[in-house]
Amino acid sequence: MIILVTKEDIEHIARLMRIDIENSDEYFERVKKILGYFDILDKADIEGEDIPVQEVNIEDLRDDKYIAFDDKLIEQLKNYKGSYIRAPKMN
Amino acid sequence: MNLGISAIEYIHGIKSGSITSEEFVAKTLEHINKVEPRLHAFLSLNNNAIDQARQIDKKIKSGQNVGAFYGMPISIKDNISIKGGKTTCASKMLQNYVAPYDATVVSKLKSQDAIIIGKTNLDEFAMGVATEFSAFGPSKNPWNTDYVPGGSSGGSAVSVAGLESTLSLGSDTGGSVRNPASFCSIVGLKPTYGLVSRHGLVSYANSIEQIGPMGRRVEDVALLLNHIAGKDAHDPTTIDSKDQDYLSEINTGIVGKKIGIIKEMSSGAGLDKTVESVFKNAVAAFEKSGAIIDTVSLDMVEYTVATYYVLTTAEAGSNLSRYDNLRYGFDMDSEGYEFKSYISKARRNFGPEVTRRMILGGFVPSAGFAGKYLLKALKVKSKLKKQIQSAFSKFDFLISPTVPVLPFRFGEKIDDPLAMYLADINTVTANLTGIPAISIPYEIRDGLPVGVQIHANRLEEKQLLQAAYYLQSTTNLPEIPL
Amino acid sequence: MIGLEIHCQLTKLESKLFCTCMANYRSFEPNTNICPICMGMPGTLPRLNKKAVEKATMIAMALNCKTPQKLGFFRKNYFYPDLPKNFQITQLNLYGPTSIGEQGKISIEGKEIRIRRIQIEEDPGRLIYEGASERTAITLVDYNRAGTPLVEIVTEPDFDSPRQVRIFLNVLSDLLENLDVSDPTLEGAMRADANVSIEGGNRVEVKNIGSFHDLEKAIHFELTRQTSLKERGIEIAQETRHWDDKRKITISSRSKEEDEDYRYILEGDIPWVVMDESSLDSWRKNMPESISSKKERYVTKYGIPGQVADVLSSDKYYSDLFEQAHNETNAKEIANIITTDLMGLVDTREKREQSKLVPKHLSDLISMISTGKITKSSAKNALQEIVKTGKSVSDIVSSTGLAKISDESELGKIIDEVILQESTAVQQARENPQTINYLVGKIMQKTKGKADPTITLNLLKKKIGI
Repeated sequence: MIILVTKEDIEHIARLMRIDIENSDEYFERVKKILGYFDILDKADIEGEDIPVQEVNIEDLRDDKYIAFDDKLIEQLKNYKGSYIRAPKMN
Repeated sequence: MNLGISAIEYIHGIKSGSITSEEFVAKTLEHINKVEPRLHAFLSLNNNAIDQARQIDKKIKSGQNVGAFYGMPISIKDNISIKGGKTTCASKMLQNYVAPYDATVVSKLKSQDAIIIGKTNLDEFAMGVATEFSAFGPSKNPWNTDYVPGGSSGGSAVSVAGLESTLSLGSDTGGSVRNPASFCSIVGLKPTYGLVSRHGLVSYANSIEQIGPMGRRVEDVALLLNHIAGKDAHDPTTIDSKDQDYLSEINTGIVGKKIGIIKEMSSGAGLDKTVESVFKNAVAAFEKSGAIIDTVSLDMVEYTVATYYVLTTAEAGSNLSRYDNLRYGFDMDSEGYEFKSYISKARRNFGPEVTRRMILGGFVPSAGFAGKYLLKALKVKSKLKKQIQSAFSKFDFLISPTVPVLPFRFGEKIDDPLAMYLADINTVTANLTGIPAISIPYEIRDGLPVGVQIHANRLEEKQLLQAAYYLQSTTNLPEIPL
Repeated sequence: MIGLEIHCQLTKLESKLFCTCMANYRSFEPNTNICPICMGMPGTLPRLNKKAVEKATMIAMALNCKTPQKLGFFRKNYFYPDLPKNFQITQLNLYGPTSIGEQGKISIEGKEIRIRRIQIEEDPGRLIYEGASERTAITLVDYNRAGTPLVEIVTEPDFDSPRQVRIFLNVLSDLLENLDVSDPTLEGAMRADANVSIEGGNRVEVKNIGSFHDLEKAIHFELTRQTSLKERGIEIAQETRHWDDKRKITISSRSKEEDEDYRYILEGDIPWVVMDESSLDSWRKNMPESISSKKERYVTKYGIPGQVADVLSSDKYYSDLFEQAHNETNAKEIANIITTDLMGLVDTREKREQSKLVPKHLSDLISMISTGKITKSSAKNALQEIVKTGKSVSDIVSSTGLAKISDESELGKIIDEVILQESTAVQQARENPQTINYLVGKIMQKTKGKADPTITLNLLKKKIGI
């Protein structure tokens, strides 16, 4: 199935990804071209295939122990008023 | 002092007393200063290297136990974290980022007395095939500086080929260790997924990438692999490597082994004639080894580039979401901004290729499109794994040219992303299936390097390195014209 | 029709879901319970907590859910300052059943409430708005809570009334405490959102509800609002609303999450966990006895009255005390003293943390009562001292002179005093013997409860001639 991708679709995704894109048609054409290339997947004979995943046993999971991170991490980050991180206002 | 000696030769030299780490490191730094203006392999250098080398020489002299690397200079791709030092991923987004911890591979190298000589250049966030997308300028191919060194671990390959370090660690998501190894005429290995810890490797496509050893000789790469492989509690995707010694018996040879030429990677319109000719010579060399050669077809290969880019853009889109400049990154005050617009403005510091992949990565798993792209790509990955397993039931090794094209000039492919992506057609299969693959430099044609790729089944790096060692013994490569 | 989405922190774990920072962040200064992993620093990888899987499985089992063959994790991608990676690691059933539990059920007063799904996920950090509302210039972020293990329980819209919701939440609270996975009384340990709809109307989600008390109010408000719209022939919009605690109403928050698309992908850094039969069996066996099973046992084995058994079994603190204090003969008395005299002294978490009472105190008290050394009244008084100081029962009885007064001459003197002071009451008692308890009470007051009640009554009756 060929789904037509519109400029609005691309703008919507850019907003979702918090990416500012230049409003040039050339940009949209490039992304559309690549998405069009992905349509090749429609030809692949993959009906009935499983999702490939790695597995792990319960014994190999991490033990529940409290171990503090030994450096004062907040001092190495962009901190504000000593111990908070500052984010811009929300709307 | 010859900076072009192998790692093994360096260790002999140290042990015999004919060289010291301090001399070698000092000479290396001198050489780096000389060639860096031309090559630009490094983004940062270790200012304490000579002091550290001096300390290691003291240890050696006093008869104390010394680590396996004896003060050898090793370079590290700048997407691998080193505590207290900058890890920029060649991006403006992280231009001031200092990691608060060491990557596991870095801890291991430090504990084995390696000298980390500097952080090497890469395509921004490891997305690219030519290191042209670094935010801090490209690296140049030391064989001909008008040509790209390959990517994304271009800086690592250049540092090794250009004699600026003895060994290097790169990362390989779709060929990023093997491609620049091929373009720069060095050896580069992508290990089995899970063999080497990714703790400290800045994620791009976390379900398929691996840190990979790079060096001028196969035995050097084996040595490096010995000291970075192993299960790590900090990376739950690591698997038990059963404490293999990849260096011992490396000259065993490959008599009686079965080698399959991957048809879809070794023929067709996309394959450059020169590359094809070099590959044919490598096949002939394999034939003389006592191995049995045949062709094998993996029809899923046709879909691997699309599959690779669907999966990696989706993962990259998610992995790079954390870069919003709130907790770390670069200087940009949030005063006066509203949350959404601050983040969008901050993320303008991504380069054009990363931005492009963020958009694709937003598309591919999005509500309307996930079933079409993401689900299908996962299924191709599954079927491809089955085909590879079936191939390995008949063959010990699978071979192909590493890259279907010769190294290209700067600017040649940068305007056609799709053409660039297709350069990965021979390398992404190993990443998608998790199997190990290595690139060996085979010939220099018209001054440009051509490499040959060998794959083995999961966790069979020991045999893979034996095959690579054999092929290396049939080569007669010129010295690099530096 | 009402459905719930409840987030429960696994506060009884030592460490966070994916790193070794402390699970209970409440005692830390801002941004001091963090590490590179829960801060989502570049290059860090999540390390799944084994006990979190165990505890979450117990919750799923206690709610009669099916557990999957393999546990899988996914990423929910969205940008928010409290989310260090700008995605949340959570569970989904996108490629078959992979969340910790689904298709469960629990009975509330005879009504079956179906559990749609239970999933393990990480809590985000906390936002603090400087100034009165969200619209102030500065948002402060504290990541101490980021990565705290959560279990999200999603029910089908099976609730008929806000009251049923409240009862369910109490039962769930007790269940979680009994399983020793969470202390629901901790601030923020249990949060709930609701979805509300009426016949013929669209489903409305209500979020941002601070407490269970508010939840009942919010649901009630929503039902009223929706009914009123329907009566006026206005369509009920399918939307998300948030609870405004000050004005006690729900407000449309349509703009907040407009066309949010979470672009779910597999969490490639966490291999799928194989839920093998032997682990599941061993966890099932190690599960603490359920509340209903305890209640049943208290009633049938010890003859404890139903209501007392209810209180005892549904509060882990009490049932733990009971289990350790009782023996073959004194179960009823222990149960009684816990649920009557002790209750007021240890009815909050602070009081329980400070209490010095141990099970032996209770068994000693009951033993002293049954051998006639102290009265029940005195035992009640002694409890206060025990909780405060932890001194042994014999020490307290002797030092504060709590021994029962059984000596007739001693009692006789006190009774004579009371008769003198309460002549009206004495007269009343002669006329109406039922009112004699007033005088008994006065005698008890004078003796601070130490007078033997039986001897007192007989002596009193003799003295006033009835």
